[in-house]
Amino acid sequence: MKVGAGLAGLLVMAGLVALLQWAIGAGIVDEYTVPRPTEIAAALPRLVAEEQVVSRFLVTAGETFAAAGLSTLVGTALGAALYRWPLLRRSFEPGFAVLAAAPLILAYPLFLVLFGRSSATVVVIAFASALPPVVLQAVAGFAAVRPVLLAAGRSLGLGRAAEFRHVLLPAALPSVFTGLRLALMFGLINVVGVEFLINLGGLGALINELSERYDLPGTWAAIGLVVLVSACFFVVLDGGERWLRRRG
Amino acid sequence: MAAAAGLSVAHGRRPGPAGPVGTAGPRLLAAVVLLGGWQALASSGLLFRDVVPPLQALAAGLWAVARDGGFWADARVTGGELLGAVLVGGVAGGATGLLLGSSPLLSAAFERWITWFGPTPKIILFPVLILLCGVGPGSKVAMGAVSCFFPMVLSTAAAVRGVDPVLLRVARSFRARRHQTLMKVYLPATVAPLLNGVRLGFGLALIGVLLAETKLSNQGVGFAVMQAYARFDMPRMYGLLILVVGFAAAVNIVLGHGARRAAGATGQEH
Amino acid sequence: MDDVSRVAPPDAGEPYDGGRHAAAATPMLSVEGVTKRFGAGPGTGAVVAVDDVSFDVLPGEFVSVIGPSGCGKSTLFSIIAGLQTATAGRVRVEGRPVRGPHPAVGTVFQEESCFPWRSVIDNVAFPLELAGTARSERHDRARHFIDMVGLRGFERRMPAELSGGMRQRVCIARTLAAGPRLLLMDEPFAALDEQTRLLLGDKVLQIQQALRQTTLLITHSITEAVQLSDRVLVMTYRPGRLKRFVEVGLPRPRTADAVTSPAFGAAVTALWADLREEATRGMREAGG
Repeated sequence: MKVGAGLAGLLVMAGLVALLQWAIGAGIVDEYTVPRPTEIAAALPRLVAEEQVVSRFLVTAGETFAAAGLSTLVGTALGAALYRWPLLRRSFEPGFAVLAAAPLILAYPLFLVLFGRSSATVVVIAFASALPPVVLQAVAGFAAVRPVLLAAGRSLGLGRAAEFRHVLLPAALPSVFTGLRLALMFGLINVVGVEFLINLGGLGALINELSERYDLPGTWAAIGLVVLVSACFFVVLDGGERWLRRRG
Repeated sequence: MAAAAGLSVAHGRRPGPAGPVGTAGPRLLAAVVLLGGWQALASSGLLFRDVVPPLQALAAGLWAVARDGGFWADARVTGGELLGAVLVGGVAGGATGLLLGSSPLLSAAFERWITWFGPTPKIILFPVLILLCGVGPGSKVAMGAVSCFFPMVLSTAAAVRGVDPVLLRVARSFRARRHQTLMKVYLPATVAPLLNGVRLGFGLALIGVLLAETKLSNQGVGFAVMQAYARFDMPRMYGLLILVVGFAAAVNIVLGHGARRAAGATGQEH
Repeated sequence: MDDVSRVAPPDAGEPYDGGRHAAAATPMLSVEGVTKRFGAGPGTGAVVAVDDVSFDVLPGEFVSVIGPSGCGKSTLFSIIAGLQTATAGRVRVEGRPVRGPHPAVGTVFQEESCFPWRSVIDNVAFPLELAGTARSERHDRARHFIDMVGLRGFERRMPAELSGGMRQRVCIARTLAAGPRLLLMDEPFAALDEQTRLLLGDKVLQIQQALRQTTLLITHSITEAVQLSDRVLVMTYRPGRLKRFVEVGLPRPRTADAVTSPAFGAAVTALWADLREEATRGMREAGG
């Protein structure tokens, strides 16, 4: 039933694309605004060949993983600190909640000034955007460790550091991985967004360049490519997290 | 949906007791350290002077922006675009979410497309939106609306699906007509999660509108930020950004309170 | 003085005769050969939840249907309430076939079903609100039923402020406020503790006797069935068939002390034998 509905949905989407193709040919939709789907599809191989899509992809991926990795490390450490000292947690956790909702990417001109027009800007913005959610996730993860485990550790004579290494961290590991997933999500979105905005580097910049060249099919194709890449990325992330959780 | 995930982490899990007990001390200390460090950096001459302006320059810049009639004109433009974006995106998203949430068939067919497309940064669609809606405010409204649409759909669909099925059975057993079930059961049951969806959608719409203005515009707050950048008027840029972030935070807090109070009033507090 | 002779001896209960003996009065509820099959596909075994069930309920009667868990009682209830359709057979209320929720039928569900955002009085007045009754009138009527279930003074409270038993009372009052001629209840006290069950059962008894309400109660509690009913219908384990009916000869009006009378005990013993047989079958089939 579900598979059938999913298939039906796919067919409907394909049908809409076909409808669009026809409408453009019939002149109902201006072909200088929306290129024919077939032209967009044709532009894709051209992009791959001429625009170094692969190397751009690697640049974007590299920036994303750098930002995500950094924010996971720093965020988990900060989360551990907040958990360890409840006074700090009470004082600053609400602040992180506010930061998590703050549109930091809006300040990109500021970061441009601070770090110049370089990969560093992209990574820093993505890092800063991903950090608050990771911190919140880490704190929640540590706080959710069943108290009985900590009691067991303490009754075996574990000190604070050993308790962290042998009880807290392993028990909170699923939450840490969720934090990593969040970091990757925020990371990718911000990396692609900033690349587009400052026209630098990877896949986001590709869209920008093509639109400035008035290469319409190319622009649409590049957008489609980025959407495809990010969709795949998130499906993999989701699947990965579910697989990890199943393994306990 | 990253924003959704982030916000759900921020607001779905309640933080530990945020009581005033002793929090004033650490916060004050943190503020002093940060501001002190900033001032030290500004006066040290390590960075080019205006990149990190001294605090008094920041304050002056903020004050200048607030008193500038031009800023308020820009703010009105952005505000109008934002309102349009939230209305269009919110209504479209809410209606679509209602459809998807109430029909398992439609949901199985189409919801995955929205989930997949959701996390992509919508700003990359901007060139296309310019083609479709022109270079004026229309494309900014469109940008904001598209950004707002996705979280609204998903949170509305989830809210509709989250209505306790026994309550719907009660309405059916009393032979309530469709519009009665909608108004007397669905609406009160979904007010709280819907408000949260609006909060999320508003935040993303604001980002969309402002980023679009920074990219291509000749008015609005985003444009003002780019102007300040071009003239290297850093205190002014900082002032604008502080006002924007402050505004976003304020609306977020208000809507968040509203959502929590709605949850309490409809007896769905957990 | 309890009429012990009217109670069926432990080893007999009349095998079900299709209700012919009661054909004289027009039944309030008429279930005719109702069958429900799930998942009928070629090759895959369809699950028969309800198998050719027929019985009548006369006006003013209180009938309980008991059976082991999973025997299809709730499915039968759903079909009678018009919330599900039968695969075969027919249900008639006051002679007219049931095609969806019937205006003369009121339902009380097993789960908590108070609207959490409405006060007690607004919950109870809900059916009247749907019918378009004016505010003061529906509040007056609601207050009458709120009194009847013993919640006077709680009109303005919200469900979250009430205990589980009180919330179920609100649901019962809400259903009664619609003035149904047939009251259906699906294990309404399932989520409550023993004392609350007994007290609420008492309350339902008083109400039923005051209103002469025709009632069909689904339950898995024998004591509850005997305490409240005129007749008890025993259902078999899947597929759910009507195994036998037992007349509860305890006179009306009943009091709480009826629980201790020997006639009560005899009826319970009779039903327990039947139920145990079905429950054992159920456990064997589920476990094996």
